[in-house]
Amino acid sequence: MRPFNKYWAIFKIQLLNVMAYPSELLGRSFSIIIFMLVFASLWRTAYGIAGTDTLQGITLPGMLWYLMIAETIELSRPRVSTTISRQVKTGELAYVLNKPYNFLAYHFSTSFADSLFRMLTNALIGGIVVSLMFGSPPPAWGWPLAAIALIGAWALNFCMMALIGLAAFITEEISSFEWIFQKALFILGGMMIPLEFLPGWLRTVAERLPFAYAMYGPARLFIDPSLEGFYSLLAGQLVWLLVLGGALALAYNRGARYLAVNGG
Amino acid sequence: MPAIKVTDLKKVFKSKRKEAGMLGSLRSLTHPEYKTIEAVCGLSFEMEAGELLGFIGPNGAGKSTTIKILTGILFPTGGDASVLGYTPWRDRHKLAYQIGTVFGQRPQLWYHLPAIDTFTLFGKIYELDELVLKRRIGFLAETFEIGDLLEIPVRKLSLGQRMRCETAASLLHSPKLLLLDEPSIGLDVVAKQRIRDAIREMSKLENVGVLLTSHDAGDLEALCRRVIIINHGQIVYHDKVSNLKRKYLTSKLVEVRYAAEVNQDFQIYGMETLKVGRYGVKLRFDTKNTSVDLVMSRLSEKGSLVDITISDPPLEEVIARIYEEAA
Repeated sequence: MRPFNKYWAIFKIQLLNVMAYPSELLGRSFSIIIFMLVFASLWRTAYGIAGTDTLQGITLPGMLWYLMIAETIELSRPRVSTTISRQVKTGELAYVLNKPYNFLAYHFSTSFADSLFRMLTNALIGGIVVSLMFGSPPPAWGWPLAAIALIGAWALNFCMMALIGLAAFITEEISSFEWIFQKALFILGGMMIPLEFLPGWLRTVAERLPFAYAMYGPARLFIDPSLEGFYSLLAGQLVWLLVLGGALALAYNRGARYLAVNGG
Repeated sequence: MPAIKVTDLKKVFKSKRKEAGMLGSLRSLTHPEYKTIEAVCGLSFEMEAGELLGFIGPNGAGKSTTIKILTGILFPTGGDASVLGYTPWRDRHKLAYQIGTVFGQRPQLWYHLPAIDTFTLFGKIYELDELVLKRRIGFLAETFEIGDLLEIPVRKLSLGQRMRCETAASLLHSPKLLLLDEPSIGLDVVAKQRIRDAIREMSKLENVGVLLTSHDAGDLEALCRRVIIINHGQIVYHDKVSNLKRKYLTSKLVEVRYAAEVNQDFQIYGMETLKVGRYGVKLRFDTKNTSVDLVMSRLSEKGSLVDITISDPPLEEVIARIYEEAA
């Protein structure tokens, strides 16, 4: 129980830290309004030109709800890579590493606290905007399934971002890796468009990659909930979590040997 | 068993070299060149339990790298070290329960929150019982005189107040060894003195060993019995502080400011004039030949004093003298 207490305490203090400036936090969440207005205009035109109610089996309101969830995932993605890189550059890492806790579990706790408020406010504000434009959301019974899938997606994103962050132990600067990751998530994760719109071969590849389980899967489940889809998504997320979690543990153990903390 | 035993410790960093300008950047991409920096070169020393050991040297001497190796953050390139019976880089987790650290230039307290929140968090991290934690916070608040600061957000504290809270936080779990990396950096004279007094008090009360790195010889004089001076990653001096004071810290710098203009050929018997300004003078004297009392009376004979500062020579100067003697 004691180890859990530590990480719960770390989660709580980071949550307090995040909420030290609530108005700034809330202000940042309003960016989802702009994104949803732009997407609404874009997809209204696309559906209008196609002259159809559904594109690749998705209705216009369904598309907007899909994009709202995808944007919520993107805007609440853990920023752990940037945090680790900053800690290496400034030498703050010295304090993070010399405490009796697991380095990765520490970052997991702080990142989750960091994302939680953003995830809730983005989903709430984004949901209100889409409701006002396109009416009621998908069936409520699917929401808890999507919420669980969102947590799985967050954990997958954490593993991938932390792997990029650990590269800072060797390279210090990781912004180029972050850029590549974000673009992969945009296309292969289905953030710009659902994977149904990709060419057949690319869709087949993308559906098997972790990016899809970290974004497309939960967003698609939200607009088209089914128990079968939920279990399949959860299984895929678990497999990728095991693979990426293992890679993360390995990378951390190896990376610690190469670490050069700046300053002093 | 010594609290710290270091044998032939080495740490080499490799850093990429880059020539100036765009062409240099391109060249470093196609033909990368690396420079090796020997931060620590074959360091060996021991420190007894409960001892206050000064580990000083100028910037870039290898002090912080050594501390980071001793806390297990960095892996050494060669040699061996044992801290409280643990090999730091292999047993970092276990060692963390036994040591406290303060890196003077880096905050460990949550910046936007009151220090008491970080203290409570550390209580959980170090697995302290709630009652024990409460008593401990009360005791440290009294020793470090921070009782009225604990509920103020850290960002609103002065540097001196923050450093007292930082040091108290590092002692929350009653460590056997405290590793202080430049705890007094940037502090004014009063703040420095308060930190030093509290550290001395804690070491005496709880037999906490203190390894103190600093580039301020004043920290050393105030706190430590023994001193190791390092430069370029090597030990250049290792002796009692009293011997160092007798041999090298006898020279003092005096900066004086007078109410009226001073004579440009200002001279005082027993003192060396270094610089003469319109109202101020900078001089040097040796306490072996001239007492501070005598200096004060001779300076006041010259005119009405507005301000006076007596300081130790910079550590670089002391090291230069040590090198000169060795040669």
